[in-house]
Amino acid sequence: MNRDEFLTRVAQAARLGNAYRIHVPPRPENVSYVGVQGDLCDAMAREVNAVGGVAKIVSSHAEAREQIAALCKQYSVLSALCWQHPVLNRCELDDLLSRQGVAKHCYDSLVKHDWSQRLQIAREADIGISSVDFAIAETGTLIVCAQPGQERVTSLLPPVHIALVEESQLVPDLLDAIELLRRSDGSLPSNIALITGPSKTGDIELQLTTGVHGPGHWHVVIIRESG
Amino acid sequence: MSNLDYLKSEHHEFLDAAAEAMADDRLQGILGQLNDSFSQRNRDAWNAFPGSDQAREQARAIKDETLAELDKHLETLERSVMEGGGTVHWAADGEEACDAVLKIARSANAQRVVKSKSMTSEEIHLNQALETAGIETVETDLGEYILQVAGHRPSHIVAPAVHLSATDVASVLSTVSETPLANNRKELTAFARRKLRQSFAAADIGITGVNFAIAETGSIVLISNEGNARLTTSLPRIHIAIMGMEKVIPRLQDLPYFLKVLARAATGQKQSVYASIVTGARRAEEIDGPEEFHLIILDNGRSRILQGPLRESLFCIRCGACLNACPIYRNVGGHAYGGVYAGPIGAVITPLYDGLSENHHLPHASSLCGACQAACPVKIAIPDLLIKLREQLHQEPGQLGFFETAAYRFWARALRSPFAYRIGTWLATRTLGRWKRRSGWLQRLPGKLHGWTQKRDFPAPAPNRFRDWWKHEGRNEP
Repeated sequence: MNRDEFLTRVAQAARLGNAYRIHVPPRPENVSYVGVQGDLCDAMAREVNAVGGVAKIVSSHAEAREQIAALCKQYSVLSALCWQHPVLNRCELDDLLSRQGVAKHCYDSLVKHDWSQRLQIAREADIGISSVDFAIAETGTLIVCAQPGQERVTSLLPPVHIALVEESQLVPDLLDAIELLRRSDGSLPSNIALITGPSKTGDIELQLTTGVHGPGHWHVVIIRESG
Repeated sequence: MSNLDYLKSEHHEFLDAAAEAMADDRLQGILGQLNDSFSQRNRDAWNAFPGSDQAREQARAIKDETLAELDKHLETLERSVMEGGGTVHWAADGEEACDAVLKIARSANAQRVVKSKSMTSEEIHLNQALETAGIETVETDLGEYILQVAGHRPSHIVAPAVHLSATDVASVLSTVSETPLANNRKELTAFARRKLRQSFAAADIGITGVNFAIAETGSIVLISNEGNARLTTSLPRIHIAIMGMEKVIPRLQDLPYFLKVLARAATGQKQSVYASIVTGARRAEEIDGPEEFHLIILDNGRSRILQGPLRESLFCIRCGACLNACPIYRNVGGHAYGGVYAGPIGAVITPLYDGLSENHHLPHASSLCGACQAACPVKIAIPDLLIKLREQLHQEPGQLGFFETAAYRFWARALRSPFAYRIGTWLATRTLGRWKRRSGWLQRLPGKLHGWTQKRDFPAPAPNRFRDWWKHEGRNEP
């Protein structure tokens, strides 16, 4: 059936179906807004822990750097997949990783390879380090948008994902975040992932098992910008 | 795994399959657990979410409004997808949808496909079509992967392999591993991760369903807890998304209400682990993500449903909450229903998609208790829809036998005449009523009526008529 016939049939059915409409009375906008009472950083950390992640609130980029160093040791990291992002720069990640002897892979190095080499490197990485575009404190959700320097695979392929989140990137509720997703021309990035927890499955006997496809270890370092 | 037939077959007799399921102790244990965990979590989640009722009403209203002008929203969706460089394919039925997929695969010379869980692709039997065409197809949702290896059909919308124990899973997956696997969830999961990573890396095409499609932006939204939907839309060169046409929502700002209710209804989570908003293929300069994006929009009987009294069934967002809540599902499991969609919503839509008389048991596979409606994130009035289907069923020729027709006619006549009614009730109380005064129940009814007492007792009439009691005692009571 071609497009026009398809749509004509749907139009006809929609018109006939109007006789059976439910007619829910009009509602105010932004119903079901939950938001956060009190401190956004605390709420974010609480929710991250509640969904099976590990949250750490730090008060400076230097402290965040120490956290990353400790996690690299903990997971015996040899190779890291990284975003190119101002928050990572402020933590002086390049310097840290080279001191630790960790091979760092990011857009500038990956773009030189073809797809199969890129995929190979990404599959072998021990850890993915990213920031976020926003994070939602009410649910502990990270929002990551694809663009050059913010690859999809960073938060997806390695067994461990660390996200560095600055306080100013936090919003209280999903309803606050949704319009921020648009770019200045009104369009959306090619891929937006809302991430709330380590990869999970309940498919065997309904028992929770982590790390089935995405990262099984999920760390969120929240940088409080005090005073 | 004794009742292998029902695990694999479609459109069988509900009652036979249900009886076998109820005699299966192990399945009964699993189904009990399903109730304890998921159903309780659903109720807790609604209680813990202060705006739950408003969010659910909002989601329901958006569905209702969208369906009223569905053709316009689909056109907007098409325009937005095309502006983003994607291709839209229109499929009137399952065959056309499969053909569209095969055409894309052939022109890309694709050999291997990975899929993330999609009820719609089950509905159109896409896997068979791909395999017939010689294209290797791998399901990547852990539950679906286990079922694919075992050759079973899914038994639950969100936990498709819930009917298998860890021991069953170990023996199923051992058939594709080099060494036998232990009966250990962590190891089984790790094995699947390694195995499926190879499939993701080798695949030419990733096929997904669609949880929501946003008309104004041309985006599709995919929800998963495992992350396989993200891998399917990030690694293969081509992404094909297949959507039932009712999945469209008009605007980006409509999405949060659905995201707020879907995970809560399905598993009691505030949010699922991953929600991906996918808008076309990768952009220039990006170094990962697919190079092509195709969207297949499927009718397959939905326009017929849209124009009729069961239109509301198109609100369904496939969360599975009604299955967990349903006392029937909890006793018989998903395979008894014999359709792609099980449980209360399956009892509504399987007859609508696949024929009412072929699935005549399903509208009756409910006690109409209303638990499904209470659990539903978009508050579909499933009991009302089941009653409407029962009405339609009884209007179909051949559904009522001579005996039943005569009995109803006699009943209607007796109720219209006060004299006949008085005589009838007098007779019933003096005979059955007094005879069964002590127990109040009949264990066996004669002739055709014994169908009722095969599975339950029939309440006996009272030993006295109300009118007699009223005449002698009732009117004197204060």
